Amino acid sequence: MQITFWGVRGSYPVPGAATVRYGGQTSCVETSTASGDTLIVDAGTGMRALGNKLFREAPAPEHYHVLLSHVHWDHIQGLPFFSPAYIPGTKISVYALLTAADELHQVIGGITRHEFFPMPLEAVPAQFEFHQVEPGVELDIGGFHVTPIALNHPFGSVGYRIDGDGSSWAYVSDTAPFTEVLHKQHFLSGPEPLSADDRVALAAMRDALVRRLAGVDTAVYDTHFLPDEYARFPHYGHSTPDQAIEICLEAGVRRLVLYHHAPTHSDEQMDRIAAEYLARGAIHNIEVLTSFEGMTLEVGPEAT
Amino acid sequence: MKIRFWGVRGSFAMSGREFLRYGGNTTSVELVTDAGKRLLIDLGTGATELAKELMTGEFCKGQGALPILLSHTHLDHIQGLPFFSPFFIKGNQIRILGAAPLSGISLEATLQNQLSPHYSPLNGLENLAAGVKIETIIPGTTVTLPGFEVLTGAVPHGSMWTTAYRITADGKTVTFLSDVEYPAIDEPIPAALVLAHEADLLIHDAMYADDDYERSKGWGHSPARAGVVVAERAGAKKLALFHHNPDATDDMIDAVVERTAARSAVPVIAAAEGNYLDI
Repeated sequence: MQITFWGVRGSYPVPGAATVRYGGQTSCVETSTASGDTLIVDAGTGMRALGNKLFREAPAPEHYHVLLSHVHWDHIQGLPFFSPAYIPGTKISVYALLTAADELHQVIGGITRHEFFPMPLEAVPAQFEFHQVEPGVELDIGGFHVTPIALNHPFGSVGYRIDGDGSSWAYVSDTAPFTEVLHKQHFLSGPEPLSADDRVALAAMRDALVRRLAGVDTAVYDTHFLPDEYARFPHYGHSTPDQAIEICLEAGVRRLVLYHHAPTHSDEQMDRIAAEYLARGAIHNIEVLTSFEGMTLEVGPEAT
Repeated sequence: MKIRFWGVRGSFAMSGREFLRYGGNTTSVELVTDAGKRLLIDLGTGATELAKELMTGEFCKGQGALPILLSHTHLDHIQGLPFFSPFFIKGNQIRILGAAPLSGISLEATLQNQLSPHYSPLNGLENLAAGVKIETIIPGTTVTLPGFEVLTGAVPHGSMWTTAYRITADGKTVTFLSDVEYPAIDEPIPAALVLAHEADLLIHDAMYADDDYERSKGWGHSPARAGVVVAERAGAKKLALFHHNPDATDDMIDAVVERTAARSAVPVIAAAEGNYLDI
């Protein structure tokens, strides 16, 4: 199995001289099996370049499968700019955590409403199909076996464990750690006191994540914040590399990939983060890589 | 009056080496009067860069005031709103002025929808600590803002209308005419000519190189040549090509400017992210 990163940034796209090397586009990852089955995870602005590549390779109708972690703008904004959607006969299956596939249709259709985009979803030549996922309810898509995992993010988010070709990787973004804040369905202007039930819910979510990640070769993890940034914004729904390392060590993950970089982190800062956490990971015998736009990774055999 | 382009790109923010000289951020333009009054047009990703600068001054203390004119609510013109940090400091007085996007859909409802809980953890305009005053403009009317006089007008943009602005301050005039496609390139609508009349700077949609326009007709954008026609007929003193195609690299924009300038009686530049320019 292979993973290619098309957008590694969180929140919003950041053009400019400071992001040339790591890239400025938002969340989008492509994964493929040796036999050519492909999955797209998240539809952030990185999806535009991915679409252009797919279109160049095969300007013919195909069936694409897009797993969404959640539907915040930075994870869906690329969809209207995915050029294969404009080829008649193309089929796009979208999977997401929402109360109903119908609601997902409304939400995705909502970003191409007349006031936001010149062509509404209904007028796009591709045929869209919407599927609801539920944490823990596994599904097979082509040669992939996919397990959705509940994450801790405002209004909910899911990660995915993806098994294929006898190996596995996981997409764990967006998520806060499972300590100070339990994200629910309301706006947080700051951390709220945790009830006993909240603590139980957080522990259960953390346990389920660790269990699902057990033995995964590679985990791509939301590490938006550095520790001092997290301390100021613990209620924003994102983690630090330290928190990701802790979870991955517990689950026995072989390799951690830092992902969903803060838009304010320049290339120079990313270089420092990459070097620091590579070294810190080495101490614990876990490989820590930092994702950049265009990076391709081979996912190795199941770790033992 | 001074102007600074914080975002000049159309449709989609482009990162990478090929877009460094003109810039990859989507639409956002700042105007500042000699007395320091400020006005922003559009909240594309460029606005997030301006926000960083504003937060080094009075906006960080909740003492800033800023009126923002929206040309329309297509995503590339509002995608910076949830990340415009002055909204997060209580006390800042921020106004957003624009026309209703479509009949029956208000500007406020549209921006609320952008911040709906599905799409944004902000979960609604009411959670912006600074608050925001949303004011609906009737295109064709004049709006007076501190330091600026603004004449507004509706111009056609594919299946919708955008609002164009003629902004006057310190005896100088800047006309903002982006996201516009006239029924025929050589026949700009009268409103465009009125708004651009003897403007010191005309900022005009130039999404397409002239040769690419034929196959892109109907999407609501102009070829570079359209701005020249408006500038020449309206007697504008300078033309800034704007809303660059996301696929247009720096070298491609250079070539468009060269070809366009060669056939224009009015001096032509391409809008670029960067420093303040005197009008």
